[in-house]
Amino acid sequence: MTGFNVSSGPLKYDTEFAKEIYALENGRHIKKCMQCGMCEVSCATRKEMDYSPRKMFLLMRTGQREEFFNSNTMWMCSTCLMCKARCPRGIPIVDVMHDLKCYAISEGYTERPQATFYQAFWTEIWNRGKMFEGGLVARYYLKRGWKEIRKDAFEMKDFGMDMMKHGRIPLKPPKSIKGLQDVHKIVEKAKAQLQKGEDR
Amino acid sequence: MSKKIGVYICSGCGIGDALDMDALAKVATKEYKVPVCQKNAFFCGKEGVEIIKKDIAENEVTYVVIAGCSGRVNYDVFNFGPSVVLERVNLRERVVWTQEPDDEDTQMMAEDYLRITLAKLKNLELPEAYVLENCSRRVMVVGGGLAGMTSALEVAKAGYEVVLVEKEDSLGGWLKKSYKIAPLNAPYTDPEDTGLEARVKEIEGKSNIKVYTSTTVEKTAGAPGMFDVTLKQGGSTVEEKVGAVILATGAVPYEPSKLGHLGYGASPNVVTQMQFEELAAKGAIARPSDGKAVQKVAFIQCAGSRDQEHLPYCSAACCVESIKQALYVKGQNPEAAVYVFYKDIRSSGQYEHFYKKAQSEGVMFIKADVTGVADDGGNLTIEANDLLMGSPTMADELDMVVLANGMVPTTAFEDAAYGTESQDEAACAAADAAPVPAPIIKSNILNLDYRQGPELPSLKYGFPDSHFICFPYETRRTGIYAAGSVRRPMDMSQAIGDAAGAALKAVQCIEMTDKGAAVHPRSGDLSFPDFQMSRCTQCKRCTEECPFGAINEDEKGNPLPNPTRCRRCGTCMGACPERIISFKNYSVPMMGNMLKSIEIPEEDEEKPRVLIFACENDAIPALDMAGINRLQYSKWVRIIPVRCLGSLNLVWINDAMSKGFDGVLLLGCKHGDDYQCHFMKGSELAGIRLSKVSETLDRLGLESERVYMTEINVMDYDKVPKIIDEFVEKIDKFGPNPMKGF
Repeated sequence: MTGFNVSSGPLKYDTEFAKEIYALENGRHIKKCMQCGMCEVSCATRKEMDYSPRKMFLLMRTGQREEFFNSNTMWMCSTCLMCKARCPRGIPIVDVMHDLKCYAISEGYTERPQATFYQAFWTEIWNRGKMFEGGLVARYYLKRGWKEIRKDAFEMKDFGMDMMKHGRIPLKPPKSIKGLQDVHKIVEKAKAQLQKGEDR
Repeated sequence: MSKKIGVYICSGCGIGDALDMDALAKVATKEYKVPVCQKNAFFCGKEGVEIIKKDIAENEVTYVVIAGCSGRVNYDVFNFGPSVVLERVNLRERVVWTQEPDDEDTQMMAEDYLRITLAKLKNLELPEAYVLENCSRRVMVVGGGLAGMTSALEVAKAGYEVVLVEKEDSLGGWLKKSYKIAPLNAPYTDPEDTGLEARVKEIEGKSNIKVYTSTTVEKTAGAPGMFDVTLKQGGSTVEEKVGAVILATGAVPYEPSKLGHLGYGASPNVVTQMQFEELAAKGAIARPSDGKAVQKVAFIQCAGSRDQEHLPYCSAACCVESIKQALYVKGQNPEAAVYVFYKDIRSSGQYEHFYKKAQSEGVMFIKADVTGVADDGGNLTIEANDLLMGSPTMADELDMVVLANGMVPTTAFEDAAYGTESQDEAACAAADAAPVPAPIIKSNILNLDYRQGPELPSLKYGFPDSHFICFPYETRRTGIYAAGSVRRPMDMSQAIGDAAGAALKAVQCIEMTDKGAAVHPRSGDLSFPDFQMSRCTQCKRCTEECPFGAINEDEKGNPLPNPTRCRRCGTCMGACPERIISFKNYSVPMMGNMLKSIEIPEEDEEKPRVLIFACENDAIPALDMAGINRLQYSKWVRIIPVRCLGSLNLVWINDAMSKGFDGVLLLGCKHGDDYQCHFMKGSELAGIRLSKVSETLDRLGLESERVYMTEINVMDYDKVPKIIDEFVEKIDKFGPNPMKGF
C-alpha cells in the first residue's frame, strides 16, 4: 500500500481539482499540509486504507480526481481524532474526511457500502430524531440489493440473531422524539449558514 | 616578588578518609621544605578561605597551593587576586574518586601529584601583561551591507569608534537591490520593507562612525590593538589605526550561467532570484520576454546548492527568499499558480510561520528533483521526479521559472593578481610533508601583512570560519571576526544576530588587548611567549606552525612575535627544536622538572609508571568527569595537564623515558575535518611530531608503542578507564623500561 495506482507517463500538476477541495468547509486547511506523515503514523485504520490522508492530499495536487474519490480512505476513517490531535500544522483532518465523504456522495460516488450506511443512518435520525435499528438494517439492505442480502443473510446470520435476542435490533419502531420540528429547524439553519460560507 | 609557598591540604569530600594526611604534609614540609603547610577539612568554607587569606596577609605567602578538589571547581572561592600565584592539586577527582581508598599506591599517587605541583613552582613566575602603549580602541568594519551596518551600529552603541569601509558608492549591499525582505518581526508572515534608509540614517547620525564608501582595503598590517590599515579611495590612500576588525563582506549569488541544466540562458523567462527581485521592485511582475503579467510561476530551489557539481553546501537563505517571492506573486494575483520545487524546505527559526503563510495563500510546495526545464514556444515546462508521488511529473504553461541560485562567500574568489603566487606556496607546503595549513584564498579583501598569507584561512568552501559550533565569529586570525554570510550561508535575520555577536567579540578583543590579556579561548591569560633570540637558528618552525599566524619573520628568517595576536596555546613552544620559547608560567624546563619530580619505584617493586599528558581543554574535563562518576582506572598513571597537545615538546618524551617511565600516553582533542581542538592544529601537530619520535625510541631499543596518542572529548568520559587501562596493560606486556634506574 505504498505506491500510487496512477497512470504511467508524467503527471501534470493541476490546481483546478485542488481548488474544488479547498472550497469545502474545512478544505482550505489542507493547503497547510507539509507532508510530514504524522497523520499516517497516527491513523488507527491506516492498514485498511488505500491511501493515507497525506497521500490523498498529494493525489489532489496532481488532479487525480477519479483515483481520489474511488479510494476508500475517507470511508475507512474511524474518526478517532488521533491525526487531528497530532497534526503539527493544525489541520482538522477528521473534519476534512467528513467533508470529503459528503462531497463524494454529492458528486455521485455512492458505490461504497459505507456511503449507503451513512445515508440510511441519516434518514432514520431525520425521520424520528432517534435511531431505529430495524429500520436502519432494512433501509441499508434495500439499497444494497438482493445479492448482498443473500450473502449477508448467510454470513451475518448468527450475529444478527444474537443482536435481536438482546433487543439490539427491535422490530417495532420507537416513537419520535418531542420537538422533532425544532431539530429540523436547527439542521436547516446550520445548512443555510454553511451555504453562505459562514465559518463555525 | 619573593617566593613564599603555602600548602593547604583539604581533607574534605572523602580525601581525609582515603589518604594519610600527615604523610602528604610531610612531602611538602620535609621534601620540599615548604614554610607554611596547613590541613583543614573544609578549605572552601568561609573559615578555610580565611585561613589562607590570613597567611597571605600576615605570613606573606605568595604562592598558594591548594590540594583538594579540581581546579575546574571553586575557582571563584579560591580567588586571592592577581598578585598571588595559585596552584591546585587535584586529589579529589583524580585520586580519591578514581582509586582504592587507604591503599599504598593511592597514597603514592597523591604524593606524586603534590610533588608535581611543588616542582612546577620552581620555574613558575607571575606573568606580566604585554600592554600596548597606544592600544587603539576603534573597530574597522569591512563591508557596508546589512551585517556590516549592524555591526557598526552595535559597536558604536557600545561606545567605541567605528571605521566602516564599503567598496560601492553607498551603503546597503544586497538590501539596495531588494524590493522587500523576509519578515524580521512577529508574526513573521508578511514581507517587510528593507528599512535601509532608516539604517543608513542611524549610521549617519552617529558621530563615532566614520564611513568610507567606494573604498577598499589595500593593506592590513599589525596586530590586535594596533592594526595599521591602508584604505584605497579612488586614487588616494588613507591610513587608519584600529584595534579590531569585523569582516562582513557577505556573499554573492552563485554564477547562474553554470545552471544551463535548469534552463538558465535558454529563455529570458528563466531568471535568478536577484533578477526576480529587480522585476518585483519595478512594480507589477511581468515576464521579461513579452511583458505579460505572470499567471503561473515556478521556483526551483537548491539551483546549484547541495549539488556536488556546484555548491556542495546548503545556501540557507534561498528557501526563505523563494517563499517571500512566491508571496509577491500571490499578493499581485491571488489566483496565480505558484509552484516551489524543493529538496527540503529549510525555513529555520521563526520562518516556519512564513512558510505556513505561503502555503495558506495557495503556493504549492513540491518535493521533487527537477530533471529539465524546456521552452515550448513562449511558455516554459518543468519536468521533475516527484519524490513523494514517486513518479515523473510536469508543470507546463509556466510564465516564468525562478532559480534559487544560492550564495558564495566573497572570500572564496581568488584574485587574479595573487593567483600564481598562492600555487607556489601550496606546492612548497606539500613538499615539506608538514601539516597542511588551512588554505588561504587570496581574495584581495583584507590584504593582511601576515607571514602566513594575505587573507583569512578558510575552513571549508572558502568560508573564513574557525569552528562552526564552538567558536562562532572567531577566524583563525586573532582580532579579526567574520559576521554575516561571509562566515557561513545565512538569511538576513541570522546575519543581524551574527553582526551583533561579532561586534561584541571585537569589543571584547579591544578590552582584553588593552589589558594585555589573551582574548580567546584562554580569555584573560596574561602570559605570552618569550623568545630567547640569541639561540634562534631561524628554522622557521614556529612561524610556520602557529595556527593563528601570530609570528611574522624578517628577511633572515628570525621570528617577529606579535603578542596581541597570540592565543597562548604554546604551539610555538612545542615546535621549537632549540627550546627558546617559553611563557612565564609555562615552559619546557618547568614541565621537565614536573615529570622528573615523580618518584619512579625500582624495577623489582613491580610498580610501573605511565605518564599522561592531557589537554586542558577536553581531556582534563573528561578525566574530571570520570572522577565525578567514580569510574576507576589504573593506579600506575600520573597525569600532567598541558595547554594544548600542540605545546608538547618532544624533549618531554625523552625526559620521561630516561627518567624511567614505562610509557607515555597523550590525550588530545579530535583533529581532521571535524576537529575539536581549541587551537585548530594542536593535536594534529602533536601526532606529526610523535611520528618522528618513534624512530628515536626504536634506536634506543625501546618499543615505539610505548608512546601513544589518542583523541578524547569531554563527552567520552566513560571511555577514560578503557583508554587508560588498555594502554597500561599494553605497557605491562612490554615489561619495564630498561632505562629505569640509570
